[in-house]
Amino acid sequence: MEEIVRAEGLRKTFTLSKKQQRIERTGETRRIAVNGLSFSAYRGEIYGLLGPNGAGKTTTLRMLSTLIKPDGGDAFLAGHSIGKEPEKVRDVIGFMTSELKLEGFFTPDYLFDFFGAMHGVEKDVLAGRKKELFARFGIDRFAEVQVKNLSTGMLQKVSLVISIVHDPEVIIFDEPTNGLDVLTAKVVTDFLLELKTMGKSILLSTHIFSLVEKLCDRVGIIIDGKLAAEGPLGEIAGGDLEKTFFGIYRSVKGEIV
Amino acid sequence: MKLCSLMKKEFHRFFHDPRLIVTMLLPGILIFLLYTFIGDISHSDQKRAFKVYLSGESAVVGVLEQQIVEAGDEVEWLPLDDEEAARAEIEEGEATAILSFTENFDLFGEGARAGIVYDSGSEDGTYFYSLASAVLIGVGMRFSIDVETVKADETVGAEFLSMLLPMLIVCFIFSACMSVTLESVAGEKERGTLATILVTSAKRRDIALGKILPLSCISMIGAASSFLGVALSMPKLMGVSLGALGGYSVWSYLLVLLLMISIVPCIVALISTVSALSRSVKEASGYVSVLMILFMVLSLVTGFLPAIGDWGYAVPVLGAVIAMQKILAGGLLVWQSFLAVGVNLLFTALLVFLMTKMLSSERIMFGK
Repeated sequence: MEEIVRAEGLRKTFTLSKKQQRIERTGETRRIAVNGLSFSAYRGEIYGLLGPNGAGKTTTLRMLSTLIKPDGGDAFLAGHSIGKEPEKVRDVIGFMTSELKLEGFFTPDYLFDFFGAMHGVEKDVLAGRKKELFARFGIDRFAEVQVKNLSTGMLQKVSLVISIVHDPEVIIFDEPTNGLDVLTAKVVTDFLLELKTMGKSILLSTHIFSLVEKLCDRVGIIIDGKLAAEGPLGEIAGGDLEKTFFGIYRSVKGEIV
Repeated sequence: MKLCSLMKKEFHRFFHDPRLIVTMLLPGILIFLLYTFIGDISHSDQKRAFKVYLSGESAVVGVLEQQIVEAGDEVEWLPLDDEEAARAEIEEGEATAILSFTENFDLFGEGARAGIVYDSGSEDGTYFYSLASAVLIGVGMRFSIDVETVKADETVGAEFLSMLLPMLIVCFIFSACMSVTLESVAGEKERGTLATILVTSAKRRDIALGKILPLSCISMIGAASSFLGVALSMPKLMGVSLGALGGYSVWSYLLVLLLMISIVPCIVALISTVSALSRSVKEASGYVSVLMILFMVLSLVTGFLPAIGDWGYAVPVLGAVIAMQKILAGGLLVWQSFLAVGVNLLFTALLVFLMTKMLSSERIMFGK
């Protein structure tokens, strides 16, 4: 199998502000978010990073999408280093997170063209992709409606389609269903399965067991910024992913809560 | 190519949103209406009675009288027998002005001259001067106008313009830049739409320039609207007509225009940088308001400090303000103006560089 994402000893620390130190009643000034994380995801699969809140999942995905720089280690996406070639990495990935928003004033049609231009997609190629993707996800009827007037589900679809405007090789998705109602969450999971059938490689982070069981081919369990276990879903879960996860968690932390 | 798309997006955002266009043009319209209204109120109840000494003959006198009477004022024309005595009366406020015409003035031949002597410190005198010069200019023929004030060191019109206008220009440019830049940079950062652009492969420098260049163009429209609002309402408000600017050369106008234009990207870049640094529009507008007050005060203060050396032209924004003040006061400061413009451009480039660094900084862009 061909490696499409390879993380090698990724490390990231953050400085704790005085306020954070006071809230957490700690004297430490730096917090290790990701601590020497290494894993590989293969072409055409959905890889899930599973872990509790604060485990370092979001930080890892932000490093992979080049929004933040690692303090140590490196990662390669479709062969491009996040440290040395961040712009090339951004051209081969589509990154989705609830923190990234679309300007409500513009229409899906305008934004698709704009973000296509931002990724350097040729105009004729862009027109073809727009027609295909808008029809496939039912956006064509809403193409000229301002984003601020779209329903939550349609807005989510538009965001997803725009994140893959440049036909990226890897799609990175941070907490895909977090904070979404059941209908919108279904839009997202169906979208991811659809992308898989299109041959895309997907890397997602979540703390929801059912989502991993429904979508992922392989899973990496991340606890305290380190990879605690990794492998195909069937091997890792052994029939009960939740039970396996808590077993691993207990062995790493010595307690559940 | 990406820079072009980024710039187009800003223009599209502005020119397809009637609300933004109105917000940009409204200050100018309001200023014009408000100042005209204030001017009307402050002058409407006062019935002016002009006492003007006349030397020579011209049809202009009839036109001028008609204008005065139509405005509800009165004028008494007296023959100029003793010029010294007439000047003394003007100085004491007993007469308004001396209006003189050379022989055969109405033929507008070689050497046709009109002269106005008035007290620039008197409101009636200034009003009469504005009216008379407007009528004379309105005749549109080739002749010369000699303007003389009884207090020779006071040329209120030009002085007022040279002192106050650059400060007003900075104020209007700042307001125009604020209204679009805060929303576009701090607003996009706060809403998370800027982060969406940061995930693309567009260079950070292009993203910074893609904001600053179009926002500068848009701000110039707003600044021009406000400036026109003041300029057009000035005759009614202050009794100072733009005819007071008639004595400047084309070069002076071009230099003032160049200085004004160079201030805009400077201030847009400054507001953009502060906006990128802030976490919300509210926080950014707080910082920018302080900067605006600072620039306004400094712009005003420089008008009262004639002893500022040439180093003053090397201060971003303020250098241009000083140069404008000096040009409007009658000087033609070519190298100083180009130095001020160069400094402004350099300062803008520095701020673009700084903003580029900020867009690359995870602590600034994604810090909580």
